[in-house]
Amino acid sequence: MTVSTARRSRSGTKSLGVRRTPRLSVAGFLMALPPIVLVLLFVGLPVILALGFSLGFTGGLNTVVSLVGQQVHKATDWWGTLAAWADVFGDTQFLTNLAVTVVVTVVSAVVVLGMSIGIGLYLRMRGGWFATMLSGLAVVPLFIPVVIASWAILTFYAGDGFIRSVFASVGLVGPTWGYTVVAIVIGSVWTSLPFAVLMISSGFQSIPDAMIEAAQDAGASRARIAFSILIPMSSVPIVIASTFTAIGVIGSFTVPYFTGPNAPTMLGVMLTSYFTAFNRPQQSIVMAFTIFIVAAAIGAFYVWANFRSAKEQGRA
Amino acid sequence: MRTTRRRVMAGALATAVALALAGCVQSANQSQGGSTSGGKHSLTVFVSADTNIQDLWQKTLIPAFEKANPSYSVKVDFDLHGVHDQQTVAKITAATVQKRDPGYDIVDAGFVQQLSTSGLLATATPKQIPNLSKVAEAIRKPGGANSVPYRASSVLLAYNSDKISSPPKTVDDLLAWIKANPGKFTYCSPASGGSGGAFVTTVLDKTIPSADRAKMVTEYEPNLETDWNAGWATLRSLNPYVYQQGVYPNGNNQVLDLLSSGQILMAPVWSDQFTSGVQSGQIPKNIKATQTTPSLTGGASYLGVLKASPRAKDAYKLLNWLLTPSAQASISQSVAGYPVIPLKELPQSIQTEFANAQIDKLRPTYQAQMNNDMNQQWSQQVPGK
Repeated sequence: MTVSTARRSRSGTKSLGVRRTPRLSVAGFLMALPPIVLVLLFVGLPVILALGFSLGFTGGLNTVVSLVGQQVHKATDWWGTLAAWADVFGDTQFLTNLAVTVVVTVVSAVVVLGMSIGIGLYLRMRGGWFATMLSGLAVVPLFIPVVIASWAILTFYAGDGFIRSVFASVGLVGPTWGYTVVAIVIGSVWTSLPFAVLMISSGFQSIPDAMIEAAQDAGASRARIAFSILIPMSSVPIVIASTFTAIGVIGSFTVPYFTGPNAPTMLGVMLTSYFTAFNRPQQSIVMAFTIFIVAAAIGAFYVWANFRSAKEQGRA
Repeated sequence: MRTTRRRVMAGALATAVALALAGCVQSANQSQGGSTSGGKHSLTVFVSADTNIQDLWQKTLIPAFEKANPSYSVKVDFDLHGVHDQQTVAKITAATVQKRDPGYDIVDAGFVQQLSTSGLLATATPKQIPNLSKVAEAIRKPGGANSVPYRASSVLLAYNSDKISSPPKTVDDLLAWIKANPGKFTYCSPASGGSGGAFVTTVLDKTIPSADRAKMVTEYEPNLETDWNAGWATLRSLNPYVYQQGVYPNGNNQVLDLLSSGQILMAPVWSDQFTSGVQSGQIPKNIKATQTTPSLTGGASYLGVLKASPRAKDAYKLLNWLLTPSAQASISQSVAGYPVIPLKELPQSIQTEFANAQIDKLRPTYQAQMNNDMNQQWSQQVPGK
C-alpha cells in the first residue's frame, strides 16, 4: 500500500497499473473458481474415491459399489490392501494386454507422426493443389464417427473385404486383417491423423520463408532443410501432437472392441469387460489406474514441451 | 481492505460450492419418476436390452396398454445393451436402502434375478397378478422369487442350408462338425452376447454333474467352478477350427453378419433375433435354424416390480395385462418371443409357429454372478490360447 501511494505521487498512470494487478488476480481467481470447484468435486473426489476403493476402502461412498461387485477385497491394514492390484498384476492375460496396449500405442504414434510430418513437409516445401488436397483429406476422419469408421475398417479388411477381393481378382491371396492387432493400429492411425496433421503442418507453416531461402542460397538440399531447420524448429508442436496421439490411443475402446481380436486386446476393452460383463469393479479400477500412470508419463512430456515453448517466447 | 477481499473470496467460494451442491440436489429430484396425482396413473419401465425390445415396449405394448386403460401413462427409460447395468443395480440398491423413489417402477433387464436374490423386488405372486397362475412353474422358477416372466427365447443352431443338408443333431456331433470344417463356425464372446454364452454354457454342461448344474442355475457357488475345467479344455481345442483360427466377434449381430454374408456356415443365434431377421430380410432365406440335444440354453425374460417404488399397485396392473392372450400374441408377432402362457390360449397361427419350441423345457442359463465368472474365465482360458 505504501509503495503504491508513494508511486502515485510520482506518476498517476503508472500507479494505476500497479494497483490493478492484485485486484485483477483476485477477480481472475474468482472467475476461475466455479470450474475449479466443479473439477475438484466431480473429477477429483471420484478419483480419490476410486483409488481408495482399489486399495480396499469399501465404506462410505464406496459402500454400494462394493455390495454389488464380485471379488471385492476389503482393507486389511490401515493403508488398505494390495490384493486387487495383486489379482490384476498376477494375471498373465493382463500383462499380455498391457504389452499389446503399449505396442499399439507406440506403433500408431510413430506411424501418425511419420505421415503427418510427411504431409506437413510436402505442403510447406512444395505446396500446390495436390499438397493442399492431401492435407485436406487427412482431416476427413475428424468428421466421421469412430464407430462407423471402425465398422468400415473391419469390413474393408475382412475375409470377404475389398483388399482380399482385389488380390483374388488377380489370382493372389491377400491378407485378412479384420479382427487382428493390425486392424487396431490402422483404426487408431485413422482416428488420430487429423489432429496431428493440423498441429504439425501449422507448426511448419509458421517458420519464416527467409530461413528456408537462406539455407537454399547456402546450397542446402531439401532433406537438409527438412531435418536441420523445419523439424527442429517445430519440435514443440511435434511433441504435442505425439503426446495427444499416444494418450488418445492408449485409452481407446471403440476401435479395439470392434476391429481387434478377443485376445490379446487393449486395456480399454479389458477394463470395460471387467467393470460391466464380469462385475469386478475393483480390478477394473486397478487397470484404469495403470492406464492413468502410463498416460501421465506421456503427459509429462507434453508439459515439458509446453514449458519449453513458453520459455522460448519469454513467458516463463 | 485485505479482510474485505478475503470475505469476498470466502463468500464466492461458499456460493460456488452451494451452487455445485444445489446442482446435485436438483438432479436427484429430477430423477424421481411419475406420480399418481390428478387421477392419472403414470409408470416408468426401465428397459435394459437391444433396440428391438425398446420398440416392443414403445411401439407395441405401451400404446395397446394405454388404449385399454386410458387413465394410465407409461414411460420407458432405456439403456442400450445394458451398458450401465451395474450402475443401475447400484442406484436401485441405494434407493431401496435409503427408502427413496428410484424413478422406475418396473424393470425389464437381465439383472432382475439379481434384484430378486437381493430382496429388492416387491412381492409378485398370483395374488397380486392373477394371470401369473397361468405361467408354468418351470418358466417362473429360474427367475427367482417375485420375478415375472413375460416372454422367452432360446438359442438355436443356425446353418447355411445351401452347403449343409443335414445339420448336427447333438452337441457332440456339432463339435465334430466344427473340427471337420475348419474356419466355418464361430460364436460371439460370451460377455458380449448371450448366443455365444449359450454355446459356451452348453459345452461346459457336458462334463458337469447334474446336481451341481441345478445349483449353478439358482445360486452363486464359486467352489463348483472347478467343474468347468474339462469344458474349457474342449473350448480351447476348438480355437484352430473356428473362423480365422480363433476369432470370436463381439456381439450377437456380428456373428449374424458373418453367417448372412456366407463367411461362416454355422453359428449359435437367438431364436427371436433369427426369426425377426428372416422376416425383415436381413438374414437370407438359405439360413435355417435347428435345435440340438441337449438344447442350447434359453429362458424367459423377467420383469420385476421394485420394492422401492411407491406405485406398485399400478405396476401389478400392467404386468397382469402383459400376461393376457392378446398382449402375449403381440409380443410373439413383433419380436418373435416365445409366449409364456399356455399356447392353447393364443391364436392358431402362433400355436403352429411355436409348436416345437418346447417352451417349458428350456434349459436355463447360470445364475447372474456365476455367469459373470464364466464370462471372465472364458476370456482368460479360451481365446488366443
